[in-house]
Amino acid sequence: MSKIVVIGAGIAGLTATLRCVAAGHQVTTITKGIGGLQLGQGTMDILGYMPNRVERPLDDLAALADEHPDHPYAILNADAVRTGVNYFAELVGEDLLVGDPERNVFLPTAVGALRPTALAQPSMMAGQLSDGDSVVMVGIRQLKDFYPGLAAQNLARSTLPDGGRAAVRATYIDLPARKGEADATALTYARVMDDPTFRQLFVTAVKKVIEPGEKVGLPAMLGLKDPNSWREVAEGLGTEVFEVPLQPPSVPGMRLNQTLVDKVKNARVRWVYGSQVLGGVAENGRLTGVVAGTTGHNVTFPADAVIHAPGGFESGALELDSYNHVFERTFDLPLAGADNEELLHGNYWGEEQPLFRVGVRVDEQMRPVDADGSAVYENLHAAGGIIANANRWREKSGDGIAVASAVRAADSLSTPTTAAASGAMDSKGDN
Amino acid sequence: MTDKSYAEEQLTRATLDHCVKCTICETACPVSAVTPLFPGPKFVGPQAERFRNGLSVDHSVDYCSSCGACTLACPQGVQIAELNSQARAVMKKNHMPLRDQLVSRTTLMGTFMTPVAPIANMALDMKPVRTIVEKVVGIHRNAPMPTARTQTLAGWLKKRPKPAEPATRGPIVYFHGCAGGYFETETSKKAILVLEHLGYEVLVPKQGCCGLAQQSNGLFEGATKSVLKLCEQLRSAGKDLTIVSTSGSCAGMLKHEAHEIMGVNAEELHDVGARTREMSEFLLDLYEAGELDTNFERNDITIPYHAPCQLKSQGMGMPAIALMELIPGVSVVESGQACCGIAGTYGLKKEKYDIAQAVGAALFKMVKETNPDLAVCDTETCRWQIEASSGVKTVHPIWLIHQAYGLPDPR
Repeated sequence: MSKIVVIGAGIAGLTATLRCVAAGHQVTTITKGIGGLQLGQGTMDILGYMPNRVERPLDDLAALADEHPDHPYAILNADAVRTGVNYFAELVGEDLLVGDPERNVFLPTAVGALRPTALAQPSMMAGQLSDGDSVVMVGIRQLKDFYPGLAAQNLARSTLPDGGRAAVRATYIDLPARKGEADATALTYARVMDDPTFRQLFVTAVKKVIEPGEKVGLPAMLGLKDPNSWREVAEGLGTEVFEVPLQPPSVPGMRLNQTLVDKVKNARVRWVYGSQVLGGVAENGRLTGVVAGTTGHNVTFPADAVIHAPGGFESGALELDSYNHVFERTFDLPLAGADNEELLHGNYWGEEQPLFRVGVRVDEQMRPVDADGSAVYENLHAAGGIIANANRWREKSGDGIAVASAVRAADSLSTPTTAAASGAMDSKGDN
Repeated sequence: MTDKSYAEEQLTRATLDHCVKCTICETACPVSAVTPLFPGPKFVGPQAERFRNGLSVDHSVDYCSSCGACTLACPQGVQIAELNSQARAVMKKNHMPLRDQLVSRTTLMGTFMTPVAPIANMALDMKPVRTIVEKVVGIHRNAPMPTARTQTLAGWLKKRPKPAEPATRGPIVYFHGCAGGYFETETSKKAILVLEHLGYEVLVPKQGCCGLAQQSNGLFEGATKSVLKLCEQLRSAGKDLTIVSTSGSCAGMLKHEAHEIMGVNAEELHDVGARTREMSEFLLDLYEAGELDTNFERNDITIPYHAPCQLKSQGMGMPAIALMELIPGVSVVESGQACCGIAGTYGLKKEKYDIAQAVGAALFKMVKETNPDLAVCDTETCRWQIEASSGVKTVHPIWLIHQAYGLPDPR
């Protein structure tokens, strides 16, 4: 049993933590706050665009790797991604994620576009539309952030995966989540939808505005904790319903996050929440501990190996100063792509911004490496958004990279025990 | 110096620009989850702050309980709760309710109630008395009130026999807090006995209030005086000694709140804050260094445990869980709730009482279902709240450690 410190509690940090627990390690997870999972759509993206819409993400990884030999998917390959995605799906269970990593589904967004993703929540799956479908998008007057008219009009003019069109209309119901609240979030609704009494009121109200034979698109707020809430709504309405994810607070994202955090806590991981990691303690090229800034004093958490999953720019793990210098805040790791003269160009809608590919370059064991390709620390592994050379926003590759790198990192940890063993054989880290 | 107070011109504002409006804090807020009267930490914090030039544009920030769940949840390092505490202090500056001045004077309450403990307790148990108190002062008639003791901790320390065994590990300073000095003296006594059992010479300097209750009511001037006086008192016990506290929230005041919310920047505060350890944190550190006696008696029990908001705010995780589970047979169930609702003095106020009860409802239910006879929580007012609302006896983690070492009840 080794002492592992995981830094970060987004999709990569939580996955790495649970993978390490399963391997019998004693894990401490340190996070500055709640991770990014609940800012996402609550789905699992592997590869959505390159730049055309991708239908079979794992099949297309090889082509992506050919085009970008430094891409994380070139280092991880389709098998590693499959392993990572399946592991994650198993962790959250079939109540929360279904689908097939080999094949993308195309689901309506809140602005009525069709978004490719690999796995989605069962409550969303009826959003896979076919030619001739009749759909009604139902909004709630007191819910902000969902405009059924916008969603319906765009969706009606979108070409469906089968080449056809759906007939889509919009309507509203009037049902405050709480008395006197005129602009509630989806989260407020999701909380009251966990209560069967409110659920019944909701079903009754929606029933009045839908026509027989229509599929019903609803804002993603059909229950937060009760995984059967959406099924009861569908049964009550007597038709297929699908949830459309909204902007944060994302209820589907919160479902995934809460499920994983509960698992982490129940596994008696030392869960250090609300403190930032300031750096590490190193000896002979290995980290022996990680220093966190808790209130009052700093604490050093001893570590045989460290998995660094702090995210990228969006979480502040990478910083750009006013001299156009990018740096990695925790360990000052060498960054790939940081010496570009024009990290950000002025054309907001133009070519991709080179800044977004900046990150750490990793070896097969997900260890950050320097310009020569040697590991910066023998036992420091990286996972998720900090890894260089992906354009996650455009590719829709962030989730797949995160889970694949987290599992690979956890499976190829360089602890004093494995380091001693690898004197005899080369440990590749594939499982 | 300008004539503006720290709260009006605070440094916390600098963290404002880190806010990316991601709403993560909104999902963590236990108050906005139960009432639309509080629009949520992002709205009254980073959002409203842009419209403040000293004074808030509305009064909704008063419904913030200062539990700190938002700051803790923020992945960008925005000090949301601190911003809100400061905004509230400015808002209440010229019309501070008498009630808020009274409930925050915890030492005063202890000093007055101890000599007349039976009468005070009887009065606080009487419905008509509480109804009058609610009408006149604004403290809700059902809000939990501390039970006064006939003997203070200082009184006990003077009268008790000296420890039989000589100290083997050197001196340590014990910080008991007002409640531990006047109301929950049993917890303090057990903590002292455990520390002595572990070989420490326990120094208990005369100590006043940390000012936390005044701070959370926006009375920064009084709170600053209190906390600085306390720092001097704790320092008087000896230089560089570790200070251990069984008062989860008061430890947080010393570690970070006095500095981050009120801008106190005195050397004595930083010195004391850096040396302060919450009791379970201290004992678990000892365990991890291989220096804790783990010769515990078996105790087959499942314990509902709630880490108070102001303990979680210290960013050290929940050491009490790992500590209690070192006792063979102990299985801890964590509440998973952000706050019990009381948040210091918030839940005592007549206009906040129902909100506080709603905030704690899931916790009270979980406690009753997990073990109807015993619950554990690290802070006094939270224990009173849980006990009063769930009917389940609630103790500090040190009670279990004291019992597991087979130590005698303090006399």
